[in-house]
Amino acid sequence: MVNDQFLMEMIRSELAEIVGQDYVSVAESDKLVYSTDWAWMPQMWLDRGERLRTPDFIVHPGSAEEISEILEVANKYRIPVVPWGGGSGTQGGALPIFGGILLDTKRMNKILAIDEKSLTVTAQAGVILSQLEWAVNEKGLTFPHYAASSNCATLGGALAPRGTGTISTKYGKAEDMVLSMQVVLPTGEIIRTPPVPQHASGPDWFRLFLGAEGTFGVITEATMRLDYLPEARLLRAVLFDDLSAALEAGRLMMTRRLEPFVIRLYDHNSTASQVKKILGYEFHGAYMVIGFDGDPEIAALQEKKALEICRSLGAQDLGREPGEKWWDHRYDFYYPPQNLKLPWMYGTTETVTTYDKIEGLYWAEKKAVEEGFADVGVQFIGHFSHWFHWGVMLYSRFIIENPPQDAREALRLHNRVWNAAMQAVIANGGMINEHHGVGLKLSRYMRRQFGTAWPLLLKIKKTIDPNGIMNPGKTGFGF
Amino acid sequence: MTIQDVLSTVENCRYCLMCRHVASVEYVTHKETLSPHGWALVIASVKRGLLEWNADTVDVLYSAPDNGNSRAHCVTNQPLPEAIAAARADVVRLNLAPQVVYEVGAALKEWSTPFARRKPGTVSGQGEVALFVGDEAQYLWPNCLIAALEILQKLNINPVLIGVGRNNGYLASSLGLPELAAELARATLAELDESGARQMLVLSPGDYFTFRQLYPERLGIDWPEAVELVELTTFLAARMEGGEIRFRRSDVGAAYAYVDPTHAVRVPGRHAAPRKLLASVLPGEPRELFWRRERAHPVGSTALQFTRPDIAEKLTLARLEDARRSGAELLVTDDAGTLKKLSERAAAFDLRVAGLYELLAENLIYIVQSN
Repeated sequence: MVNDQFLMEMIRSELAEIVGQDYVSVAESDKLVYSTDWAWMPQMWLDRGERLRTPDFIVHPGSAEEISEILEVANKYRIPVVPWGGGSGTQGGALPIFGGILLDTKRMNKILAIDEKSLTVTAQAGVILSQLEWAVNEKGLTFPHYAASSNCATLGGALAPRGTGTISTKYGKAEDMVLSMQVVLPTGEIIRTPPVPQHASGPDWFRLFLGAEGTFGVITEATMRLDYLPEARLLRAVLFDDLSAALEAGRLMMTRRLEPFVIRLYDHNSTASQVKKILGYEFHGAYMVIGFDGDPEIAALQEKKALEICRSLGAQDLGREPGEKWWDHRYDFYYPPQNLKLPWMYGTTETVTTYDKIEGLYWAEKKAVEEGFADVGVQFIGHFSHWFHWGVMLYSRFIIENPPQDAREALRLHNRVWNAAMQAVIANGGMINEHHGVGLKLSRYMRRQFGTAWPLLLKIKKTIDPNGIMNPGKTGFGF
Repeated sequence: MTIQDVLSTVENCRYCLMCRHVASVEYVTHKETLSPHGWALVIASVKRGLLEWNADTVDVLYSAPDNGNSRAHCVTNQPLPEAIAAARADVVRLNLAPQVVYEVGAALKEWSTPFARRKPGTVSGQGEVALFVGDEAQYLWPNCLIAALEILQKLNINPVLIGVGRNNGYLASSLGLPELAAELARATLAELDESGARQMLVLSPGDYFTFRQLYPERLGIDWPEAVELVELTTFLAARMEGGEIRFRRSDVGAAYAYVDPTHAVRVPGRHAAPRKLLASVLPGEPRELFWRRERAHPVGSTALQFTRPDIAEKLTLARLEDARRSGAELLVTDDAGTLKKLSERAAAFDLRVAGLYELLAENLIYIVQSN
């Protein structure tokens, strides 16, 4: 974005005066490493030896005040700013596609306060989630946002795309755990949202920043709800012949308020491939893990009732061991070489909808992908992982083991598969994403997703960010 | 390590972020590039022609700590530190490594250590038990060796001292000098053979890791299976639990914490022994650092002290800050290199540092005479 070397040096000096010389970089190695996040698209591009757009400056601010000053510089020179947490987003939300200033927030990693009475923790947005969890564990508490990316994602990164963790079914998404935030607006003002999330003191504006993925400002600090570490965690697995029956079992567990902390339901393909690969079990059917936690007697009773539901719908009880093994190895799916990795093409076309639509949506998406791309040997697998009182999330994935070697061809094919999946999702009442966010990858579907409400979001964006500097090209917003 | 192993590890790690939560250098620098995935991505990018080895990228390569956290926390045990060492060896061969690498290499070649201009001592006889001294214990914190010998002698163990003043080979390997590392390794193993020992004691987890794992993996040199390798803390803790030795409770009233030394994460299961020993000597409930046991961060005592002394310093200061926050006033550890680094900066944090072996030797009160 900054093409003029003279101006580049002037801006670099200005940034160094704000954060210190050590915290501004223009090194080629830094630019390359920060040019990709955890999305398949940029990783593939680099993998094929192609170059990505890199940031002009990588900056590590140490405070909200420094970020405010940086944004003043960015507005003055009309330079895009991309907030960066752990770089673990899968949607290309942190890609510096127009260059500019990349703001790595990980220097702001302090845990500021743990309130053992209100059960809250206040921390800077750059803290790594696992480190935050260790800190609160020392007081017998837990931050119940157990994302698969907890080892690498930051607190800000959990909030910005509206992330979800493994035990969200009972404890909620990250957005459900936030009490208040400090945000630096695109125009540099540092604001604090109200101290509690539920009140009747006007419109719920603080949620604007959740899901905005940095386009409405930079989250710098948050106060989050905690829970006590549970006394007991009971896990077991069941096996259904019929996916429909399994979905109904999950719906009943949720709507009857049995409060499982996890229901993880794998479709037949996932059971045959992923469950076998990681856990070593050869089951034929839809494998489901259910878990209940808290007071041991209550958890045991909840589990008993859940098992009754499952059995009534034809499930075979596989006992504790497969459930406990799943829990102990639930993140093993993400370690190489057993994770999905290049040179394969893959994508997580996840979605969420209400119970009356989910089965239809699953089959529609599966058909759109499998039939539309049979010629390239696509596999479609899915599991249902985050359950709500009103519906459930489908974590659907496609895999193509032999994609085109040419980067451009591969990207085109990738985008066509995504398009087929998203068209099926929208046509069948689903949302284009449940917890990975929109980023760059799904940006083009925002208008369709929000329909006549989309101009409202554009107006809000224009008001908050008049120069369009914040993370342009993401979540449907341009300059 | 074969180039194929290096390549597959780098390909696996370049886009994996699953060990970031324990990454020590990224924790103190906050830089994505100076993280396990960053190093792997830089190496992979050089391979793909997207970067080349130059001052910038070589500096990145030599910013990795090689203390083992990434591998210790990898479910699939990716040997990234080994891959980085192999990539450094390539850079050395291309004559592109930082000048200090060649300087340290020259010192290791001539003196077997970068810490003194003295040749290593010779093997002192034969016996059932040997003790590897190394260069850090000999030159950086000799009191730990003196204390260790005092305790052993009271157990009627007079170990044959080997490797007196000789680096164990880790440093050379880490810097990308595998041939030199192998030379040092063979010299130590020759002395071990000459000693006739059936058991070798080591003073630190760094030594244990080097002999048990680094030698075969990075140098293709097997540890002699007939010789049992034991960390001295583990050895002493077992004897304490067996009733062979007892320690007096010291009257030191300071709040204390055990600091897991650099490389501790590489030796699973070693964390309890030094704590048990310390608890028998010092009164009161010990404090614990946040970065402890399986997730212990290093101090700046790895090769970083030569290639990136600024990062090495940050690591040491971060551990001291961690200790200060724990409420400890006295820090205790067993590894000479860790002791040296901590002690250099401890006063600035109102902390004192003591060697574990010295504390044990001072307070040893009872020994069962073995037959």
